[in-house]
Amino acid sequence: MKKKLRWKVILILVVIALAVFLSYPPGEKINFGLDLQGGMHLVLQVITDDAINAETDQAILRLQEQLKKEDIGYETMPKGEIGRFSAQGIDPSQEAKIKEILDDYFRDWDYTIIGNAISLSLKSGVAMQYREQTVRMSQETIRNRIDELGLAEIPIQRQGGYGSDRIIVELPGVENPERVKNLIKTTAFLEWKLVYAGPAPDEETLLKKFEGELPEDKEILKADPNSSEQGYYLVDRVAPITGQDLRNARRSTDQWNNPAVQFMLNPDGAKRFYKFTSDNIGKLLSVVLDNRIYEVATIEGRISDSGIIRGTFTIEQADDLSMVLRAGALPASIRYLEERTIGPSLGADSIRRGLTAITAALILVILFMVFYYRVSGLNAVVALVLNILILMGALAYFKAALTLPGIAGIILTIGMAVDANVLVFERIREELSTGKDIVNSISSGFARAFRTILDANVTTIIAAIFLFQFGTGPIRGFAITLIIGITASMFTAVFVSRVIFDLGSARKKREKLSI
Amino acid sequence: MQIFKKPNFKFMKYKYIAFSMSGILILIGIINITSGKGLNPGIDFAGGSLIRIVFRDPTPISQIRQSLAEVGLGKSRIQEVEKTEREYIIRSFSITGEEGEELGIEAHEVIGNRVIDALRGTEDKSSLERGLKNLNSIDRTTLTLILEPSFPEQASEIATTIIDFRVAEGIIKDLAELQQATGISQEAVDFLKGQTFLGHLTVLSRETVGPQVGHDLRRKAAQATVWALIGLLIYIGIRFKFAYGVSAIITLAHDVLITLGVFSLTNREINLPVIAAILTIVGYSLNDTIVIFVRVRDNLKIMRRHGFEDILDSSINQTLSRTVITSSTTFLTVFALFLFGGEVINDFAFTLIIGVLVGTYSSIYQSCPLLYFWNKIFKPKKGMGK
Repeated sequence: MKKKLRWKVILILVVIALAVFLSYPPGEKINFGLDLQGGMHLVLQVITDDAINAETDQAILRLQEQLKKEDIGYETMPKGEIGRFSAQGIDPSQEAKIKEILDDYFRDWDYTIIGNAISLSLKSGVAMQYREQTVRMSQETIRNRIDELGLAEIPIQRQGGYGSDRIIVELPGVENPERVKNLIKTTAFLEWKLVYAGPAPDEETLLKKFEGELPEDKEILKADPNSSEQGYYLVDRVAPITGQDLRNARRSTDQWNNPAVQFMLNPDGAKRFYKFTSDNIGKLLSVVLDNRIYEVATIEGRISDSGIIRGTFTIEQADDLSMVLRAGALPASIRYLEERTIGPSLGADSIRRGLTAITAALILVILFMVFYYRVSGLNAVVALVLNILILMGALAYFKAALTLPGIAGIILTIGMAVDANVLVFERIREELSTGKDIVNSISSGFARAFRTILDANVTTIIAAIFLFQFGTGPIRGFAITLIIGITASMFTAVFVSRVIFDLGSARKKREKLSI
Repeated sequence: MQIFKKPNFKFMKYKYIAFSMSGILILIGIINITSGKGLNPGIDFAGGSLIRIVFRDPTPISQIRQSLAEVGLGKSRIQEVEKTEREYIIRSFSITGEEGEELGIEAHEVIGNRVIDALRGTEDKSSLERGLKNLNSIDRTTLTLILEPSFPEQASEIATTIIDFRVAEGIIKDLAELQQATGISQEAVDFLKGQTFLGHLTVLSRETVGPQVGHDLRRKAAQATVWALIGLLIYIGIRFKFAYGVSAIITLAHDVLITLGVFSLTNREINLPVIAAILTIVGYSLNDTIVIFVRVRDNLKIMRRHGFEDILDSSINQTLSRTVITSSTTFLTVFALFLFGGEVINDFAFTLIIGVLVGTYSSIYQSCPLLYFWNKIFKPKKGMGK
């Protein structure tokens, strides 16, 4: 055996060993896609307008405060389109003073003063930043919640880059999709607010005491239908303590042994809660979750670092609520754009069918090749099997998910990978028919076929790359298997097959080539 | 073995026939798409909800249609899976117009839930109201929880056995069968009889796509196709000549149009995997075309005395064996996928079958005649070689 040939054989053996090492056992090493193992694929949109609205509300409060401080009167301060508000009925003679305030405290806002009205709009760059930040924070919160579910290492991806408001969540093997969906979607913004009036059956009755006018620093909230409270309440607009002050939350029970949620505050929150409850003993305190009243109770004593939230919870609901409280609130509401849930039975069925199809395809192609090219056909079969091995190894190495379209990609690769062999064999036949000897025919057959193989495969890979670029989930799986399979076929059909031919010729002087 | 010893077919002689045949096929397709049945977008592109269910007992399609019609969902499309009488795919009609945009995915969800409720029937509902748990939809944790008081030691083991059985079978048909297959104890079965019931159906998969996503996916699919074609044009332009690139791209457009035409005529749904399959065809057909083009490039150097038409003919003939063999192996594999791959991948496999057939035909009868006409019309000074 020539020395060069020996090295080639060693290289091939190393590649085989590596592929087997990477992908064996396939059940563990190969990462199955959601469509095969069952699971949920969710695309959600963060309603970033919420964050802009919240910022606008804040700005309105700040401006009201500043104007009050400077003793400048105004009539109303209505919100306009998203990220805009105005102050109406300003004394025009105060314009210089107002400008001073706006320049000092409202740098993020563009303003125009016309007559007795100021209109403000959030600078577009700043708004972009807020939106971006909101999406990032939501992504982080959702990740925390998924972690709380005990599903570690789930990628929570951003769909598209900077400026995109979409998040993709892929959860394998979910048994209760509705629960998970709710868990992700809940905003979970918790507040404690003092109650001034209520409950009342409707808003008008509630405001009777205030002559039908809503006091400026108050708001009306409705009781949550899932709680034991009912009707409407008048509460403080600003909460002294919110979910941001939480240190921990867990399921526990109240004095009647019903499921409840116990919370613990961080030191700073505890200090504030202690002072707040001390100042307001005997008054009514409400627990507000996502702007719905959950519980109203009299402050009976000073509370510092822990307490209980009651409702009419089931065990599961209490678990879920403590879970989302631990993970933190979403900075904006979200909505689902796309959801695909594949049950485990269907996934298992797809795997079974996929394997049947692969086996059938493999057998058909092997029979065809051996029937048509005889012994040389076996050579192609060896190359083909090696190709599939390399494909599996590469899938395992890149941690690419094998999806059902991915299996289709493998099947297609089986069909197309032998193309390189066919091109070579046909060339060798041609060379033989011109009367060349076997060794020369083989070597020029390979040499001439190679350029064709390269050009033909590069074009297929170009198409597959664009497929990968625009596709999601399963389609990407298909593109990846196709790219790897075709690339590997250049190695197996050109390099490995050549070595096998050379090995055959080296052993004995060949009189006849079975092709 | 050899199919063709020394093939010498006069392919180019039939170029006009081939052109008119392709033209007619494309025309039929286009007419059908624009003013006939049109293209049938699946939920990936049109939005909507697709639910795949399996019934506990055989249920004829007419009964499903009736149940859905009773709750005002008569327009839903119902497709039986492999004549099982138990497994169905139901697509609820998409909501379009202003209301659809406004309600988005929530509306699809609501309708999806209504479909499932309607098919569950009243029997399941009354069982649930009596406080029984549905063994055909319960999750492992909950099942363990209800088993815990009576079987403190084996609760999770029993639950796992039952759920695994359900996953393997799709749905639990009756408890006797469950007991026989898994060997759970008589006490456990008696307990289940008292606490649970076997729901009428199991949801195998459920997909809901909102209108926005459909819109995005349409855009992305179009982008991918156009960019792929541009990328290929550039590559072939560099490796060969501009004329070859143009012929190849027109050939590909031909393949895509005919495939879409077939989809329109057979009224199959177009979903993302179908687009993937079409792009794959683009790659495959091009593969075929390139092999012939390489020969043409080589033969232009060898057969200097021959006319261009002769050169094209011999190039096709010289690569004919390879074309036939590769098409056969690819066709065999794709056909295996079509036969054994199951419902989920069926449209995808169908597209590939059409593509392999059309792609093989077009690389012989479209790309080469196109080169011929390019040469005839533009008469490039430096010839067609590179």
